[in-house]
Parts: sequence; C-alpha cells; structure tokens
Amino acid sequence: MKKVLEVKNIRKVIRDNEILKGISLSVEEGDFISIIGVSGSGKSTLMYIMGLLDEPTEGEVLFEGVRVDFKNHRLLSEIRNRKIGFVFQFHYLIPELSAAENVMVPMLKTQKSRKDALKRAFSLLAELGLRGKENRKPYELSGGEQQRVAIARALANDPHILMADEPTGNLDSKNTEIVMDIFLALNRMGRTILMVTHEIELARRTKKMVEMRDGVVVGIR
Amino acid sequence: MNHVVFISFKLLSERKRQAIVSVLGVAIGVTAFIVMSSVMMGFQTYFIEQAVDINAHITLKNEEQDEADRILRVAYGDGVISEVLGSKPKETKDKIVDYKFIISKYMQSEDIKGVAPHLTGQAIVRYGIKEKSVNIIGIDPQLEVKASIIDRFMEFKRLNQLNVDRNSIILGSLVARDLGVREIGKKVTLVAPNGSVHVLKVVDFFNSGITSLDQTRAYLHLRTLQTILDRPNQVNELVFKIKDVDDAERLSRVISRETGYYAESWQKAYSNFLKIFRMQNWITYMIVFAILVVSAFGIFNIMMMTVLEKKRDIAILKAIGFEDREITWIFVFQGVFIGFVGATLGCLFGYLLQEWLSSIRFEVVGLIRARGFILDRSPVYFVYGFVFAMFFSTLASFYPSFKASKLFPVDIFRSGG
Repeated sequence: MKKVLEVKNIRKVIRDNEILKGISLSVEEGDFISIIGVSGSGKSTLMYIMGLLDEPTEGEVLFEGVRVDFKNHRLLSEIRNRKIGFVFQFHYLIPELSAAENVMVPMLKTQKSRKDALKRAFSLLAELGLRGKENRKPYELSGGEQQRVAIARALANDPHILMADEPTGNLDSKNTEIVMDIFLALNRMGRTILMVTHEIELARRTKKMVEMRDGVVVGIR
Repeated sequence: MNHVVFISFKLLSERKRQAIVSVLGVAIGVTAFIVMSSVMMGFQTYFIEQAVDINAHITLKNEEQDEADRILRVAYGDGVISEVLGSKPKETKDKIVDYKFIISKYMQSEDIKGVAPHLTGQAIVRYGIKEKSVNIIGIDPQLEVKASIIDRFMEFKRLNQLNVDRNSIILGSLVARDLGVREIGKKVTLVAPNGSVHVLKVVDFFNSGITSLDQTRAYLHLRTLQTILDRPNQVNELVFKIKDVDDAERLSRVISRETGYYAESWQKAYSNFLKIFRMQNWITYMIVFAILVVSAFGIFNIMMMTVLEKKRDIAILKAIGFEDREITWIFVFQGVFIGFVGATLGCLFGYLLQEWLSSIRFEVVGLIRARGFILDRSPVYFVYGFVFAMFFSTLASFYPSFKASKLFPVDIFRSGG
C-alpha cells in the first residue's frame, strides 16, 4: 500500500519540555488509525505535526513520499488545503457563514467557481444527513450537526487524508455514534483517516490503534 | 482573491453596526475636509483675487529711505552693514520722474499687461454735515482699465465719467454710505491737505467687497487731483498688471533694479494676510487631519476587536490552507471597503453641504463683504479627501491584519479556541 504520510524520529520540545520523544509512524492509503493516550501524552501535538500545522524540533515528515519543507509556507498551505482535511473537537465553523458557505470556503481557495463549490457543498451536506439545513448559520444547528458540517468542510476538496482531533470529545453519545459511523463509512469507501482520541471504545473500532504515553509510542495494535 | 473577498465581505456584512459606525466616521472626516477646505480657500482666493486685481500686481513707488543709506546700498550691495554719521533727514520727493517713459517702456514687455500712473494723497470729503477722511487716488481711466480690474467694481459702470467731467469723483461704497450719499449725481466737498476746497460730483460708487478699501477710497481723474494737490504732471505710483501673478516677486525685483524705484509685489504688500491665511490653513488641515486620524483609530479599534474575536476563525482558515497574506487581505479589504464607502459618502455629503452652503444668503461684513459663503468648489478637495480617507483607513487596518496573519493556529486549537 502507498504511504500517505510518514514521520521519522520526530521530537518536539516546547519551552524545554519534550513533548514528543522520537516518534516514527506511517499512515498508508486506506488506513483508519487512531492515536490514543491520556491527556498530555503528546497525541494532539503529533497530529498537528502530521497535519503540517506545526514544525517538529527534530525529525522529518514525508507526505506522499516527499520530505516536507516546513519553511515553505506556501507549499504547506497548499497541501493542507488540497490534501488534508481537518476535524477538531470544537467545530470551528465561521459563525457569519451558513453551513454551505462554511463547506465552500476550502473549495473557493482552489479557484473553484462559487457555483460549483456551492453545488458540492450541498451534495456533501446531504450525504451527511443535513439536507435542508444548508443555509442555516452554525448557531442554528445542534452540536452533532455542527460537527457534521465540519466533516463536510474537511471533505470539501476530497483530501488524501482526513485528520480528526478528538472529533467526538464535545458530543453526546448519540452524536458520537453518528460521527463515528460517518468515519467508518468514509474509510470503507477508501478514505484514509487519522484520529486522535482518548476514548478506547472508539479507538477499538478503527483498523489500527497507536497508544502513546509521555511522548512515546508504547504500543500499536 | 475571490475567496478572500467573499470571506471579508461576509465578516463585514455580519457586523453591520460596527461597519456603519466606521463608515460614518470616515464620511464625517471627508465631509469636514471638503467643506472646510472649500470655505477657507474660497474666502482666501476671493480676498486675494480682489485685493490683487484691484490694487496692482506690482506697485512702483518712491520709497522713503535714508539717502546716504540708499547710496551705500547701491554702491556696495544689500549685504553691507553701514552707518552714516552726520547726515540730516531731508525731504524726500514723493514722485516718480520720467513716469511716461517708464510706462511706455514696460508696455512693450511681454510679461506685463498694463501700466497705469497714480497720484495718491489724503483728503476730507464732506456731504452736508458729515465728513470723512479718505485716501484719494488720481487715475487715468484709459490706462487704469489695462492695469487693474477697477471698472468691474463700479456699481454703475461709469468709470469713464472721470474723463468726461473732470470735476467728478467716485466714492468707495462704504464712504458713500457713511456720508449718506445714496445716489450718483450728488455733490460733495473735498478738502485737500493744502486747505483748498473743491466741489465734485459723485459719478459712481466703487464696491470691491473688501471693507478696508471700500470705506477709505475715492477716485478722481489724475489731472483733477494733480490740480487739487497742486502737483502738476506728477505721479507718485505706477501700478503694473502682469500676465503671471505668481511671477510678481521676480518681476518686482527686475523693475526695481531697472528703474531705481521701490517695486512692491502683491505678495509683499499682502504678506501679513498671506501669513495669516497660511496659519489658518494649517489650523484647518490639522483639525481635519485630527478628524481623519480619529476615524482611522475607530477603524483600527474595530479591526483589532474583530481580530481578537475571530482568532478561532483565523486558526481554522489557516488550517484549511489560507496563507498569511490571504489572512492579511481578508482584514485589509475590510478597512479598504470601509474607507471606500466612507470616502464616497463623505464626497457626496461634502457636495450636498456645499450646495446647501452656497444657497444660503446672508450679509458677511468683515475683512470682505459678501452675500453668503464664498466657496472654492474645486474637485481637488474631493480627490484629496478621498485619497486621505483611503490612505488612513488602509493604514489603520494594516496592523490588525498583520497581527491576524501571524496568529499560530496550533496555539488556538491547544487552548480550545
């Protein structure tokens, strides 16, 4: 299988505090990997580095086999926009925009026409069970619906990998199930997913589980 | 840029109240600039135009100066410090000799439109029991119209009557008012400094709109005044009208050097007024500048607040691939948009206010007399106002936008946004 993302011997030091202590990990096409660990284990920091949002203190990140140059901000933005989709614990939807407009934003950046972007946004929202709610503002949606809009936004540019940082951390059990079912369905359709969670039950449903503790990987199942 | 404009406009349109306040701030600044500039400059331009054209662009006269000192200056130049001991004050001859030659010489010059002789003096004008001290000026009407626009200020356009009837006088409109002369054809008595008394017929009123002139001047024919003052064939001033009024200073130096008389440019003659006007302009522009700066601070404040409130949105935009410069432009565009709308509205309000001010009719009596505001409605003030507003609003939005672009998304995500 083709490697989508690989990190080699990653170290991250923040204010003399070593958060990651030489982590190596690879994500292959079609993987659904969960990274679990207690709070402070470094799982989110690892995801930010793998998502090219943060720079490692040491080590290298390879995206689709190419070493990532963290000094090339334009290229980092380009990869994040076209090849990585992000879902966070908080939905981070722009409150001034409707659900469909929020989904459109990453597409507009790729020079896609507003009409095409809107059409795809409606289609994605319909796929995620939000038909008829496309023009609602985030505050008019429930927590679960907001998170589904965020997933639609992450999928807008058909990314090569979907990264989720505690995507259910702010949801009730019913919405947690809905979101997890969406991720599983997306993975079944071939989408590569990397998910950070502290909920072992969710992690067990993924294809591969990476356990972290104190900045090191302590087990892969 | 499509996505930048889209987001920028969306953010702005959802903050209508703040946007409207900012826009109004800019609009008020631009309106104030346009209206204050046109009122101030209108008044100043009117005053200068009237004063310069009525009097002269250059006046040649026999300056009263110490003869010994004058000789030393001619011999050694202006830079020499000299003191002549033992010289007694002598009577200076207040006249320009060879004035006809000077007139004919400078009439040939390409830079000069006209030259006219003046004989000036003081007299008392009586009408009934009222009397008033006036500056009397003897003119040659035919030459005078070439060297000044005096004929334009004659209420009955009867300047030529001075030629027809040599025992006639033209009174300043405020002199006439003070004396109680309400119509032409009335006879006034003129008492000359030598004690001679002459009866003259009022043939017109001189109304320049400049109070200091209209309430002190009276015009007679040059020959009449020469007879009254007992100064046959004498003149003590030559007035020049030149083609380029801004060249008066240079030409005055040339004429002074060539004739040996003191030539005073209009800039020098009105230097006190020009200094006051300059100061007035500085004060005006400082006030307007302050208004624009305050409105720019308004924009700055709102943009800063927006950036602080939109940290989460900025973080997610960066996460989904927006570059620093695009984040900057999202916020700069808002400042530019506020500036553009504010400046456009300001120009519109400025125009409407100008229209309104120009329609108001009331008596202005002071340095000048006019009916209502005298406005300089040059489009330049609109252009300047627009450009200043755009500059300040763009500048005000730049720092908050730059700050926004430098936010590190991971910090926001870590803190839970």
